[in-house]
Amino acid sequence: MTVELDCRGLACPAPVLETKKAVDTNGPSKIVVTVDNEAAKENISRFLGSQGFEVSIRGEGKDFHVSGTKTGGTVSESAVIEEQEWEKQKIMVMVATDRIGYGDDELGKKLMQSFLKTLQEMGDELWRLIFVNNGVKLTIGASEALPDLKELEEQGIHILVCGTCLNHFDILDKKQVGETTNMLDIVTAMQLADKVINV
Amino acid sequence: MGLDKADDAGVYKLADDLAMIQTVDFFTPVVDDPYEFGQIAAANALSDIYAMGGTPKTAMNLVAFPANDMDIAILREIIQGGLEKMNEAEVVLVGGHSIEDKELKYGLSVTGFVHPDHILTKRDLRLGDQLILTKPLGIGIITTAIKGGLASEEIMKTATRLMATLNRQAADVMKDYPVHACTDITGFGLLGHLTEMVKDSEYGLQIYADSIPVLPEALDYAGMGLVPGGAFNNREFYGHMVEIASSVDPLIQDVLFDPQTSGGLLISVDGHSAKGLLLTLKEKGVQEATMIGEVVSRSKQKIKVI
Repeated sequence: MTVELDCRGLACPAPVLETKKAVDTNGPSKIVVTVDNEAAKENISRFLGSQGFEVSIRGEGKDFHVSGTKTGGTVSESAVIEEQEWEKQKIMVMVATDRIGYGDDELGKKLMQSFLKTLQEMGDELWRLIFVNNGVKLTIGASEALPDLKELEEQGIHILVCGTCLNHFDILDKKQVGETTNMLDIVTAMQLADKVINV
Repeated sequence: MGLDKADDAGVYKLADDLAMIQTVDFFTPVVDDPYEFGQIAAANALSDIYAMGGTPKTAMNLVAFPANDMDIAILREIIQGGLEKMNEAEVVLVGGHSIEDKELKYGLSVTGFVHPDHILTKRDLRLGDQLILTKPLGIGIITTAIKGGLASEEIMKTATRLMATLNRQAADVMKDYPVHACTDITGFGLLGHLTEMVKDSEYGLQIYADSIPVLPEALDYAGMGLVPGGAFNNREFYGHMVEIASSVDPLIQDVLFDPQTSGGLLISVDGHSAKGLLLTLKEKGVQEATMIGEVVSRSKQKIKVI
């Protein structure tokens, strides 16, 4: 399906938002966005690029036609396929701490390790594992849960780790497992998941 | 100060030991919360006085308000926010003026004072000076993401805090150091303001891309195409005076041209005192202050980013 958008006369970020809306609602295989300024041209090219489109630009008078064609092998593309093939429910687990519960921290940490080890019992309904805030500390070299997380990753569980949080604790370079992610990816994942479990 | 070399504000000498600085700044909302917008607009307007080494004393409100479409309580909150910042700056609000307008705008006209011998301009940098920036960059990209409804709650808070932070503390600290030039980073972006500093100088600037403090989310949003139009304009206008090494991440390049709202001070300080100033800034709570480059003898381009 080809979608055509006319974003002439709009100032940034409106053209990108319009394009995002079109991509999110229609999931087009091809999209052509017409804009009338450099900033919008550049921003839309980037946005489409980041969404797994191959981008080409054609100038016509003062206007630019930015075309994006879906290509294989990108994150968003595989997410689309993944969605079609996935018949069972998708469970996303969001871990915002490095220990479970209050009371005894030592016990809390052991419980977390045991929790992550036991997670694989969910089978192939376990879809994504997201680490935010103190939870990101579970993904670094010193974490005792690291072997279990690596095993989950090998089994094809998508592990996403909050980049802002890693930066905050200054451990960005110590992360040993999963992909660094941002809030937009997290929110999108929540929307796609059938069930979100917060720890 | 003549008008031919426009500076952050106008200066008028009243006596041998006293000069008056005047400045005005106002804009449309950059965040949704009216109180916080008031704080940001006031911090932004006061900043020009600090950048010139002065002390702000009085201010007047400038308001454009769509009274037919908007609840007057919103305006009250904006003004309360502005007032809080004026109190923090020990500035007296002496009046103001408001008009009816389709688009909401708020800001201040500020008057401050300085000893004529201690006026800081943006043009007196000297060879060997180190450049210190007191707030991280990326605010323009973040506010674009906020407008698009795509910014996370967390980064909205961080950006709001940064924009609402007065440059007062940084300005107070630098008074005790051999500072040769200063400006505040706003709409022209870091490289635009640096170009203004060095335009007519016999020297050049070397900027170290790796040491530039950047809000990490700004890089994410820039990669998604949330770069404000102003950043493209800045690049077009100032780009030819800047040489950026190809090794510098294109997203960092966007941030270098990103227009800032209520950005930090850019301080050009004698190289021997730079470390001392940086340490004192951090001690006094200007945590994000960073050394980003230095004044060098002139090469082909006025500014080199490596």
